[in-house]
Amino acid sequence: MKIIGEKINGTRKRVAQAIAERDTVFIQDLACKQAEAGAAWLDVNAGTHPSREADDLVWLIENIQAVTETPLCLDSANPAALSVAIKAVNKTPMINSISGEPARLEGILPLAAEHGCPVIALAMDDKGIPKTMEDRMTVIRRVVAETRRQGLPDGNLYFDPLAMTISTDIQSANIAIGTMRAVRAEIPEAHLTCGLSNISFGLPARSHINRVFVTLAMQAGLDSAILDPLDQEMKAAIITTELVLGRDRHCLGYTRAFRAGVFGK
Amino acid sequence: MSKALIDAITDMREEDAVRTAKEMVDKGTSPMEVLESCREAMTIIGQRFEAGDCFVPELILAGEVLHQISDVVKPKLTQTAKQKKLGRVVIGTVEGDIHDIGKDIVTFMLDVNGFEVRDLGVDVPAAKFVEAVKEFQPQVVGLSGFLTLAYDPMKNTVQALKDAGLRDKVKVMIGGGQMDDQIRQYTRADAYGKDAMAAVALAKSWVGG
Repeated sequence: MKIIGEKINGTRKRVAQAIAERDTVFIQDLACKQAEAGAAWLDVNAGTHPSREADDLVWLIENIQAVTETPLCLDSANPAALSVAIKAVNKTPMINSISGEPARLEGILPLAAEHGCPVIALAMDDKGIPKTMEDRMTVIRRVVAETRRQGLPDGNLYFDPLAMTISTDIQSANIAIGTMRAVRAEIPEAHLTCGLSNISFGLPARSHINRVFVTLAMQAGLDSAILDPLDQEMKAAIITTELVLGRDRHCLGYTRAFRAGVFGK
Repeated sequence: MSKALIDAITDMREEDAVRTAKEMVDKGTSPMEVLESCREAMTIIGQRFEAGDCFVPELILAGEVLHQISDVVKPKLTQTAKQKKLGRVVIGTVEGDIHDIGKDIVTFMLDVNGFEVRDLGVDVPAAKFVEAVKEFQPQVVGLSGFLTLAYDPMKNTVQALKDAGLRDKVKVMIGGGQMDDQIRQYTRADAYGKDAMAAVALAKSWVGG
């Protein structure tokens, strides 16, 4: 299960402040902490107005790369900002994200194809987020046809089935997880990813919901996720799920995590 | 006002609430009194939500209960007995953005606090806002957006209202993701709100409530 560290996101107030004030120490600390906690990619989202986004992304990228080797995940819907930002990276980044929206397929996919980037693909288009699993798969099929046409290997794709919050639709998790199973069956080389905290928005005791969701999703084939690598409870849930699903040879990941204090004292 | 009805609604006892409302109407209780109890219950629920004591799904359930009770009561309402509203609000999530939960909560709170709300939904182009303002004639327009890409559509919507000669007839409030006075100035809105209670306070102040 590969973790995309979510913390460097300018839509969060404290990070927005650090970006505006060019607070190098704060950003580098966030990068290092996430890397040490085992993130496979660091998501980088400037969260600023399109007129400033490219500059802010480049500043973030340069400062993060100065302190860690972990690959970055460039998070933006703005093709102009992404094409500037991608020149600043020192290793192939992941791109977050494309979708069925024509603007993203035309503006962002070519960039990912040109640089051979892994790319997150959202199961939605310009009509919005499809309500049913079948409709999400229709969008996904359209996206994969286009990525193949542009020469992107299926293995570079990280499909996000879009976990909507359960508080407005009690079937949200079932729909997302059903979509994950379908992707696994139809596009076996593609990966899956998901932002894990959305599922519990609007409900209390969110960590309990998030952990159960990730467990069920991992059984359906989720092999990466966008989350807080510093969240010990989430980490414990993921490691335990890998153990119970039979993916932890000699239970070594689990016992190591135990000794490292992941499960508490 | 009926304590039994208020309690049934605030306790989320859906069947009890609808049954109690039906019994009241059958016994000859005025429809206005039933609706008053509903409004009181919704105000309590709104306060609990703001205090973090009840949650989004409960707001949705309360809305559904109110809808069911309205269906029972409305046939008995006479023209003159229609509830007086504080004012009218047009609200929507701007073009290019489909986030709706925050907007839906604002709509719920405005409704509960006595406003007539026309919710245009999500991904709403400026022209649709203009059309709604012309037709519905609200005192207040609420623009919601979560993405940073929403600021320009907000600005364009305010400009479109100006171009249509409607800007002076309404007050515009914005809300959603990162909001501050800089963004407010950029969009040329009249005010920004951090949450649903702020939206209600702004709307009330503008209609003189």
